[in-house]
Amino acid sequence: MPLSTLTLFNLCCNSIMETVVHKLPSFKLLNPTSSSSHYCSSATTTRTSKSFRIGSRRRSFSISASASAVRQDNPALGSVSLGHITRPDFPILHQEVNGSRLVYLDNAATSQKPTAVLNALQNYYEAYNSNVHRGIHYLSARATDEYELARKKVAAFINASDSREIVFTKNATEAINLVAYSWGLSNLKPEDEVILTIAEHHSAIVPWQLVAQKTGAILKFASLNQDEAPDVDNLRQMFSRKTKIVVVHHVSNTLASVLPIEEIVLWAHDVGAKVLVDACQSVPHMVVNVQSLNVDFLVASSHKMCGPTGVGFLYGKSELLSAMPPFLGGGEMISDVFLDHSTYAEPPSRFEAGTPAIGEAIGLGAAIDYLSRLGMQKIHDYEIELAKYLYESLLSVPNIHVYGPAPSENVDRAALCSFNIENIHPTDIATFLDQQHGVAIRSGHHCAQPLHRHLGVNASARASLHFYNTKEDVDDFIQALNDTVNFFNSFK
Amino acid sequence: MVSGPTITTLSLSSSSSSSFLFGFSSLKFSQRTRLKFIDNVNERKFTFAPLKCIRVSGFDSCSASTATEAPLAPSSELVSDKLHRLATEFRALHEPIDRVKRLLHYAAILPPADESRTRAPENRVTGCTTQVWVEAELDESGRVRFRADSDSEISKGFCSCLICVLDGADPEEVAMVKADDLSDLNVGLHGKSHSRVNTWHNVLVAMQKRTKALLPQHPQMLQPVLHTCTFSRQLQFHLLCMLHM
Repeated sequence: MPLSTLTLFNLCCNSIMETVVHKLPSFKLLNPTSSSSHYCSSATTTRTSKSFRIGSRRRSFSISASASAVRQDNPALGSVSLGHITRPDFPILHQEVNGSRLVYLDNAATSQKPTAVLNALQNYYEAYNSNVHRGIHYLSARATDEYELARKKVAAFINASDSREIVFTKNATEAINLVAYSWGLSNLKPEDEVILTIAEHHSAIVPWQLVAQKTGAILKFASLNQDEAPDVDNLRQMFSRKTKIVVVHHVSNTLASVLPIEEIVLWAHDVGAKVLVDACQSVPHMVVNVQSLNVDFLVASSHKMCGPTGVGFLYGKSELLSAMPPFLGGGEMISDVFLDHSTYAEPPSRFEAGTPAIGEAIGLGAAIDYLSRLGMQKIHDYEIELAKYLYESLLSVPNIHVYGPAPSENVDRAALCSFNIENIHPTDIATFLDQQHGVAIRSGHHCAQPLHRHLGVNASARASLHFYNTKEDVDDFIQALNDTVNFFNSFK
Repeated sequence: MVSGPTITTLSLSSSSSSSFLFGFSSLKFSQRTRLKFIDNVNERKFTFAPLKCIRVSGFDSCSASTATEAPLAPSSELVSDKLHRLATEFRALHEPIDRVKRLLHYAAILPPADESRTRAPENRVTGCTTQVWVEAELDESGRVRFRADSDSEISKGFCSCLICVLDGADPEEVAMVKADDLSDLNVGLHGKSHSRVNTWHNVLVAMQKRTKALLPQHPQMLQPVLHTCTFSRQLQFHLLCMLHM
């Protein structure tokens, strides 16, 4: 049939173009408006000379002066860096905001999506949108195949042993609630202990507060050490035979610190406790291998890893998921339904009630393909360099305090920095940066109020990077930040 | 060119260079603050010269008369007038950054608050990403006097604008102001996007709540506004979710 042939042709073009593009980045740059490629023609971006970043064969035209001389000679951050090479894949970055080039530094809040993901979503709705799992007809079979293929991609991405260990949810928050209500309600008894750190995201804390209220369990929080990183020794000392589950982040969205998950899992399993890892800030930025970490549960959100919003996932070991009662009830998660009772499906279906975010899960699969082609280790290595550059550049701003541990040989920081500048409110900083310089950062408590309370502040500003950011983005940010500081100081 | 209503609380006078003076009869207002209005041919454009800074060339600056003892006029048209002037002033600033700067000027003219009093927990305005405190009390004439403070200069600017409009008003007038009336004062937004409206709205609602609390014997007149506030609170909740990701 002509329609499906054309669609298949487009799909082939997409995958070939993507493969070719990433092997030969200059190909894409020399033929940015090739109409034979669905991939390229959909990238309709307005590029001014100020905003267009060219990689590979030409030096980048950076109008902003470098504010810091540190690491200018670092080849990892030079004009052929991963950031320069991948930027053209992200149409949204090529725009002006309030008269300045957009500098998007709010990736810890959400990431941008490459054209490949946008195409996958569009293609799903254009070519084979249909409800999954139950349909007999062609479109439904195709949608089901692609949806389940996306599940396999997620499993492979985090090295789960079986794709049935991946439950698609709305986001990481829902996934944590799933564990809290399904595993927690049936396993926690009065005086059982749930161990967390004070640096946890609200989504990791509040579901357990709700479940602790219902079960009589107690929440305990490990504090920070003098380097403003979670105190791992303190955490370990809290473990006892009363500990039933340990809920911790992998990478902190405020402190940029990284927890030693493998060791924490060993200590937890020693006392018979399970471990749930909030991997929202790690899965998008580094290799995460659930088998080598040996975690019991792990959650992440698609929208932070270049995928669409509306989908996330829970990884759970098979034996744990099999023993867990349903979370949400409805269609899809049942086996047989009678008037007075129902029987339930096996995991993962047991935890996927109702029609899922089909297109979005497929989009997540496309994001995983994109990230895998770049290579997570390559992304991680680049972001470590960028993280150091951001941190050191920020320290050059007077009266600034950057939260979290300093990067060193033993300590890696994620590519984000939360900070405060004396006598200037972070919201005022963020507003001015946006209005005057087109720089997008975040200000507030970053869903970590207990952490901010511990640090003695109400709010902080946060700049967070992803692999498509460049050294020039950091330079522009620092220059804009210095301008902001001067502006507010002149009003005092 | 002087135009507009003559209002006994405010001393409006013109000089040969058509600059206007605007004096507040506010009990807490600093006597050293000077404000000028400069009339443009087509639209009113207000510039403010707070303590430290800006001289606008070509215009004489006159000292303000801060008539703290001047009797308060009937203020029934005053609040809506002030709101209108404020909206016009901000609407005339086409560059968002100029609105930020204007807010900072307003912040500078906000009467300094007694931190230990104003920053009490019960005065805290909930829902803002910055810390904002608002106090209200009735003076001898039954008008509402406000004090506000914030740890953010821009939020202080918002408070200062609202106090310019509402300080010294009748409680009923305070209750009648709607969040929509403030939409023209948006800072840093394209079109009618809502994130900063949140702060305006929160502070306005706080002012109205505190005003209501001063009048326990007249809850009915404020009921319709509370319905508006409830609906707006839903919007506010959604905005908060957006802001507090």
